[in-house]
Amino acid sequence: MLKIFKEEPKFKFIRLRYFAFALSGLIILAGVATFFTRGFNWGIDFSGGTLIEVSFQQPTSVNQLRSSLAKIKLGDAQITRIGGENKFFIKTMASLKKLNFPSGEKLEDIEEYEIVAKEIRNGMMNETERAQAAAGKIDLNNTALGEIARFLRENGLNDEDANQTAQLIIGLRKSGSGIISDFSALEKAGVKHRVMTILRDKTFLSKFTFLSVEFVGPQVGKELRRKATLACIWALFGILVYIALRFKSVLLGLSGILTLAHDVLVALSFILFFRVEMSLTVIAALLTIVGYSINDTIVIFDRLRDNLKIMRKDDLTAILDKTLNQTLSRSIFTSLTVFLTVMSLFLFGGEVIRPFAFTMLVGVIAGSYSTIYQSCAWLKVWENSFLKRKKS
Amino acid sequence: MDKSLTWKIGLIVAVIALSIFLLYPPKDKINLGLDLKGGMHLIMEVVTDEALAIQTDMSAAQLRGLFKDGSIQYDKIARKNFNKIEITGTLMSDERKIKDILDDDFRDWTYTVGGNLVSLALRPNIEQQLRDQSVDQALETIRNRVDEFGVAEPTIQKEGLAGDKILIELPGIDNPERVKGLIKSTAMLEFHLVVGGPFQTEEAALAEYKGQLPDDLEIVRTNPRRLDKGFYVLKAATVVPGKDLKRASRAQDEYGAPAVGFSFNSQGAAQFEKFTAANIGKLLSIVLDDRIESVATIETMISGDGIIKGRFTVDEVDDLVLVLRSGALPAPLKYIEERTIGPSLGADSIRKGLMAALGGLLLVVLFMLVYYRAAGINSVLALLLNMLILMGIMAYFHATLSMPGIAGIILSIGMAVDANVLVFERIREELAAGKSPKSAIDAGFKKAFWTIFDSNLTTVISAVFLFQFGTGPIKGFAVTLIIGIAASMFTAIFVSRVIFELTYGRRKKLAKISI
Repeated sequence: MLKIFKEEPKFKFIRLRYFAFALSGLIILAGVATFFTRGFNWGIDFSGGTLIEVSFQQPTSVNQLRSSLAKIKLGDAQITRIGGENKFFIKTMASLKKLNFPSGEKLEDIEEYEIVAKEIRNGMMNETERAQAAAGKIDLNNTALGEIARFLRENGLNDEDANQTAQLIIGLRKSGSGIISDFSALEKAGVKHRVMTILRDKTFLSKFTFLSVEFVGPQVGKELRRKATLACIWALFGILVYIALRFKSVLLGLSGILTLAHDVLVALSFILFFRVEMSLTVIAALLTIVGYSINDTIVIFDRLRDNLKIMRKDDLTAILDKTLNQTLSRSIFTSLTVFLTVMSLFLFGGEVIRPFAFTMLVGVIAGSYSTIYQSCAWLKVWENSFLKRKKS
Repeated sequence: MDKSLTWKIGLIVAVIALSIFLLYPPKDKINLGLDLKGGMHLIMEVVTDEALAIQTDMSAAQLRGLFKDGSIQYDKIARKNFNKIEITGTLMSDERKIKDILDDDFRDWTYTVGGNLVSLALRPNIEQQLRDQSVDQALETIRNRVDEFGVAEPTIQKEGLAGDKILIELPGIDNPERVKGLIKSTAMLEFHLVVGGPFQTEEAALAEYKGQLPDDLEIVRTNPRRLDKGFYVLKAATVVPGKDLKRASRAQDEYGAPAVGFSFNSQGAAQFEKFTAANIGKLLSIVLDDRIESVATIETMISGDGIIKGRFTVDEVDDLVLVLRSGALPAPLKYIEERTIGPSLGADSIRKGLMAALGGLLLVVLFMLVYYRAAGINSVLALLLNMLILMGIMAYFHATLSMPGIAGIILSIGMAVDANVLVFERIREELAAGKSPKSAIDAGFKKAFWTIFDSNLTTVISAVFLFQFGTGPIKGFAVTLIIGIAASMFTAIFVSRVIFELTYGRRKKLAKISI
């Protein structure tokens, strides 16, 4: 039998409670300080604005990208490199006013964002590309299927040829990095020679593509923030009610909730430290932590109740330590399995899901730590009233 | 083999068969979310205030008619805000007559009559009813338009707490600009008599009336794609309401250029005939969504049908015909959220999601096999069955798999084996306490049950709140999590137990188990 502990370990966890409280207190305090100085990095779900994911064919640096954005007065947009690839998120809350763009009539927020996105697209182009676009040529790397087909029809292709060619172009974009580098690739993919002449004449291939474009109006975020806060509070309340019913002990319930709150606060602190973007999926991760990290605490409190009956003569510290040691390997392993899967998600899941995975990772580690070092330690803090209640 | 074990195995086989049946073929049964297959996601708000304003305007016009018929004197009947009407300059002596009219024909309104002022307000329940109606109507109209345009598998539904938002998801959409225009067009087609114009600017038009436009006139701008840029002064009252439009079709003008043909229903035709007969030689304008599309002289009496000329392209004609056919929107729409996911991004996300899932599965399997040996195989079998059931139930509910949903599945892998770990650790403890393997297995499952139940329940509690709060993809995450947990209760407790019984049950003497 493979075991991490050959026999039941005898760690003195309770003795370390003040160090544990201090460590957690420090992290959470730093988190609070960051919250008041820098605040959250709200994603567009909450802040509203424009988010563009752009991929470049050639190695591009954040500075290069920023300088081309600066030309259209968007130098202060938030630019995030995705992994080691030539992909970036560009996030901006800029509206037309900021771009000094003459708006002919009153536009809604989203319409303004759309124009901002178009401006960004223009800003990305180099001189030749811009000239080609101005001459009415379409960019095969940034045009949708139907629009390509329509363009080809207007340029004299029959329906079948136009659709087939458009499909081939999109298929090629789908299979690779999203960017077609030159026309010969299209020829190889089977575009007819006759069609190629039109393509070479009337279209061009820019060196980048917009992988996704998202706009969220400002009023959406406001409602969402309220809803997210409510959901978190209700979930905590639900767990509280459950624990109170389950343990029939206020102090056990209170210790459980404090441990839980600790995990969420530590996760939030790390979100603040690393400027992880607050998005809907991060809220999902936080709520999952609320539901999940209470689990090992419940396991320990179950065992504690048994031990309180068995070890009547021992003092509370001994009982608590014994309980923690008995359940130690279990506490570690149940968290470990989730930790492994979340780690895989963090490493391989891509940029979209990474904030979620990060939050879960922190939450799982914090949950494991707090279960061992804090759930029982709180009971020690309330030793007198806890024991009195138990005896009566 | 004893009897109870036989039916237990039978149940498990049945569950496996059912899951495979539900899931097969997976390509058709599992819907991919927009973030995975690419497409457009729109959330629009129905500006229901506008719908109410239109309704109130109509009531005000009705009042003017009734007051005229009853020869009741007044200065002005005007709409205030979107749900109130104010009548000024009435006489005290007419109070009885006014009250009679309001009691008879304006039951949806509350009113106060005081001195020379009568105020009407729409009853709140009627107001809510009208708002709901306009959202429902908008939903129906949008559905018609999207269907006519021919988008495969669109999602169109109400969203938001107040139910005044509409979510539209169009997978693999290939012509975003055009579709957005189509959906948004209110398609309110109206005919107005032209009083003056064209003017270069709105100010120039206003100057004609010394800066004070009479109540029954309005200034409307032209649609620059059809006419030269400018403004006309029109009679505010529409000749024929848009709802009397019966049919719209592709047509050509006398030069063969694309145009939009339309015809009225009998009521509209009669009205139009009467109107054109009385106004021969005057200018008539066709207004679509508050933009003048066409201005023409009325040369003869026109009855049932006509065409709208202008500088149309063929596509523009098609789109206009489509929106006119599908009916007018009861109120304008406002885009509040728009996400366009390109085709290559979705493919990339699927690759990464799969990799993360396989990686997670591999790590967990490796850990369980190394640490728990033969019992590890047991848990791996249970885990695989868990995944199968999860996918089967998702297929049954037509759940949509999005990136957060994949995260939910991956998380379920870790949480499902949690239950196995709890059981195995308990069995090890019982063994260490000197129990025989068989009774240790027994006690292990029995004692771990409530722990597993508790810990799963808390996760479900927060997943339920997450579901309540979330939008599409987040709901998907919550759903996969809940299903995964429910399935793990079955696999980690029931199935895993049966596997133990199968492996060790028949041996008379069992001295050692591999755990």
